[in-house]
Amino acid sequence: MSDVTLYHWEPNANSGKPMLALMEKGVAFDSHYLDLLNFDQHKPDYLAVNPQGTIPAMRHGSRVLTESTAIMEYVDEAFAGPPLMPQDPRDRWRVRWWMKFMDQWLGPSFSMIGWNVFVGPAVRSKDPEELKTAVERIPLPERRTAWRKAIYGLFSEEELKESQRRVAVGIRMLEEALGRREWLASDRFSLADINGFNLGYALPLSQPKLSNDEMTPNILRWLRAIYARPMTKACWAMGRTPMVKRVAILEQQYIGKEPVT
Amino acid sequence: MSMTVYHGEPNGPSFTVLAALFETGVDAAMVHIDLAQGQRHELPCAQQAEVAMSVEGEGPVVVMDEEGMTDSVFIACYLDEVGKGGKLRPKDPYARWEMMTWCRQLIERTAPAAAYLGLSAHPRTVDAATLAKIGSVDLRARWQNAAAGLSAEDRLADSKMKIAQAINKIEAQLDGREWLMGEFSIADLESYAWLAGMVELLPSAFAERPRTADWMQRVRMRPAVAKALSLARQPAPAASWAPGPEINRWG
Repeated sequence: MSDVTLYHWEPNANSGKPMLALMEKGVAFDSHYLDLLNFDQHKPDYLAVNPQGTIPAMRHGSRVLTESTAIMEYVDEAFAGPPLMPQDPRDRWRVRWWMKFMDQWLGPSFSMIGWNVFVGPAVRSKDPEELKTAVERIPLPERRTAWRKAIYGLFSEEELKESQRRVAVGIRMLEEALGRREWLASDRFSLADINGFNLGYALPLSQPKLSNDEMTPNILRWLRAIYARPMTKACWAMGRTPMVKRVAILEQQYIGKEPVT
Repeated sequence: MSMTVYHGEPNGPSFTVLAALFETGVDAAMVHIDLAQGQRHELPCAQQAEVAMSVEGEGPVVVMDEEGMTDSVFIACYLDEVGKGGKLRPKDPYARWEMMTWCRQLIERTAPAAAYLGLSAHPRTVDAATLAKIGSVDLRARWQNAAAGLSAEDRLADSKMKIAQAINKIEAQLDGREWLMGEFSIADLESYAWLAGMVELLPSAFAERPRTADWMQRVRMRPAVAKALSLARQPAPAASWAPGPEINRWG
């Protein structure tokens, strides 16, 4: 029994960030899995923990923390273990810049595409009345809108196109940054890499025409380097859905331009 | 190592960075640029990813060794780490988490609303040549929308609601406190930065919010803040706006 409990879904996007940060830091935690596709995060048990109904949340002693990136910074500062932020203040600024860029600009675009192709179809077969009730229970109006769009396939062509444009821009930016440095924001592994891996671990599968060993060798080198870390393997092994198993693509030595199957 | 701060009028993100600079006593050269005329895009580092693609929109740029740094909250964290003056962040990790979360929510919800209302009331446009230099396609689109006039009723109503929510949150937070996080911090600077210009535009949101009014006065009374405000070139710096962060695309 640890004094840290993490409420999370899959090692993917926001949930995976504090999962991997805790594991890299060597902090033992009780894992409380919430099935996003079963709307566990909007049920009373969890709303008692986090009234906003967003995942992840972390309980440390009597305190509850939300917002995945801010949780990661907390984990790095509050516990002993290997530092996950660089020493140099300008490097630290760069870590924070890239995390915000991914959290607020690039991530939502990946997410919109992911919700359109994965989350929406995965829940659509449920009973319509049950879905309606589930949506009405969502505390935040923004999340209600997002879920409605995903469930009923209401993302407009225009917004999906804009998301795809941003994904392409983001991939170019990541490739360029990783051509300059070994890791995303400095010359050492940091929270920015944990954040980025959660966003991009399946890139060569989800965006095969934009990211592969030919076009984005630095991104692929970086993803494989993070995947090679024992804690990443242990963390992704906690995944239960086919979505997360896609990480195995990184075991391939070379991923060419042709779409992979 | 020398630092240069390219800043606009002391409002929004430029306010945060200038006040943080003076609070922390960091030595830097200062260059006033007109953010509302897109002058940031003339800087030598303008096309660097971390400048061109800043989520904050038109904000100040701090240049160190030719590297441009953007995003006012993170610049303020940086100044806090290198400065020898007063501290702008709590020491305790939990209090820091509270401060970073506060700023994040402010940037995501309040800042886009303030920029929309500010630019709607005080429209600015950039010429075609400057527009062509803007590296971010979506920031360019925000300038184009601004040129067309920001008058969408739903956007205005949504923005006003978000400002009112922010004021309510601040009023509640200040119960028994002098500063938002207990001790003075970046949260005070960033909150003031985006809300100072709303007093004139949305007086109803500030009505009967005595703690907020007192707090704003306390912020202004700080010597570092007074110094930042003294750099204004216009009589009302809080009326100076340029496209800020975009309104959340997820709803």
